[in-house]
Amino acid sequence: MRSPFSLKQEFLKKWILGLQRCRSSKKNMSIFKRKKVIKLSADVAMASARKGTTCWSRALIADAVKEGNADKHLAEKILGPASERQPTEKVPVGAMAYNKRIRSKKILKRSSVIRRTIKCAPQAARPSSIVKTLVGKRRQILRSLIPGGEFMNGVSLIEETLDYIISLRAQVDVMRSLASASKLVNLN
Amino acid sequence: MESKAGTTETRSNITASDGDQVAALESLQFTDEFHRLILAPPSDNATSLTALLELPASRALELLHSPASAKLIAASASSFEALKGNFLFPSNTTLIDQAARSSVFAGGVNNTNNKSNAPETTSNNATLNLEKAVKSEPAETESCQPLVSDPAVEKRNFKRKDREKKAKGSTKKSKTAANDSSDGPEKLPYVHVRARRGEATDSHSLAERARREKINARMKLLQELVPGCNKISGTALVLDEIINHVQSLQNQVEFLSMRLAAVNPRTDFNLNSIFTTESGSLPDSNFPSMVMPLIWPEVQVNGNKQQHQQQWQFDALQQPVWGREVCNNYITPENSLLSYDSSANSVAEVELFSSNGQWTTNKQRCMQIKLKMEL
Repeated sequence: MRSPFSLKQEFLKKWILGLQRCRSSKKNMSIFKRKKVIKLSADVAMASARKGTTCWSRALIADAVKEGNADKHLAEKILGPASERQPTEKVPVGAMAYNKRIRSKKILKRSSVIRRTIKCAPQAARPSSIVKTLVGKRRQILRSLIPGGEFMNGVSLIEETLDYIISLRAQVDVMRSLASASKLVNLN
Repeated sequence: MESKAGTTETRSNITASDGDQVAALESLQFTDEFHRLILAPPSDNATSLTALLELPASRALELLHSPASAKLIAASASSFEALKGNFLFPSNTTLIDQAARSSVFAGGVNNTNNKSNAPETTSNNATLNLEKAVKSEPAETESCQPLVSDPAVEKRNFKRKDREKKAKGSTKKSKTAANDSSDGPEKLPYVHVRARRGEATDSHSLAERARREKINARMKLLQELVPGCNKISGTALVLDEIINHVQSLQNQVEFLSMRLAAVNPRTDFNLNSIFTTESGSLPDSNFPSMVMPLIWPEVQVNGNKQQHQQQWQFDALQQPVWGREVCNNYITPENSLLSYDSSANSVAEVELFSSNGQWTTNKQRCMQIKLKMEL
């Protein structure tokens, strides 16, 4: 299932497939373009290894293929023809409605907070509110770090963070070992 | 606390009556509902006990079928700081110890069959708890995390509930064992939450408390996952550590991808060309199987060349260095490669130098990227 070794295997498999799909355009690339290709294919491979079960993976893939993105064609090439794309387990429609609800709630909250702070004196003296703002700010930062994090509420944010950290670790492991292996191959 | 003493006593009674399976679970603490379940017909004891212990962890079940895979999971979760290219065997045993201590699965594979059916049998029918529980549990079962510390989370969940409960003044909101055991296998498990003495008992605050407990449980998991978070107390600092960890991991991905792009300055960039030259022309499906032996030295490879052995010895030498360093210091392993590499000819050294030179300029750029990202 989601044991780490098979996660790495799957990630590697998908990454290689993605790189192969980009092979034709790689002849005369500068190093930075190559780096972008590598990173993008690695991220997409990581996200698709989750097969749409987690929010961050869906958000990452959606972000890669959205309309305004410069590398959209690259991402689409990596993902392969639409028929090969993994069907997501969760219904995206429900997630979109949920996202909209969350966003509208946040807008409401923000507007009411602004009104409140203008009217009454700041109540930051109370320790609970201090803690809340401390934690809240950090939650905001965490949301900005994790792909698709703006749409997650408290519990799911932490779960997504957990999953994201595990995936990132696997990705780093594989990339590191690949770099060392290719370095050693170059020696010969 | 007297409640804890009471639970320990009943627990000792249980172990006497139920034998090995419950002995394995002795380290976990249970609430009163569990005691009632235990005192229910003994045929249901083991299953319902083990079931309750892993309410949301239906996926963790499949994962933790064997102690070996439990070690793997613990290894991956904990071996970040000790990257030795050794993916199969754990280098950090703290998580494994925790898993062993708190894991239900220490009892062996026999339990798993019971457990997979049993979570569904713990559902309750029509108490105040249920409405809130219905909201909370589907969310849990949908997105549960396959971590070995899930049993540890249940343990903490139960500990927390245990602490909160006062033996005399608490209002009991959970169903009895008889109803639990008689339910069909398809219902969702529910969270048992007790109202503390003197606290509001309406459904909203109960829901709020259950939600807070869930969040705290997940934070504990995160604390275990991120190295160095165990000693920190306080949510804000832990979140700080987590944020730093995620940022550093993302930076590492950036650097590694840059490094991979730079590693073949002369040859046409194509990672696959490495694999094809090593393994000849193979159909695509065989690539992963050929790549894995190249990368993971522990895996036995058929038809080893002599060079591969040398490479792997290099690899074993390199990995400790790489494991310890921070991502900025990519120069040092390449320098150390030069020193280790007694058999390299001049061509190889020139190539290394060229890649080194290129790397320094790229390194500056990467530092800029890193600084930008850390804003």
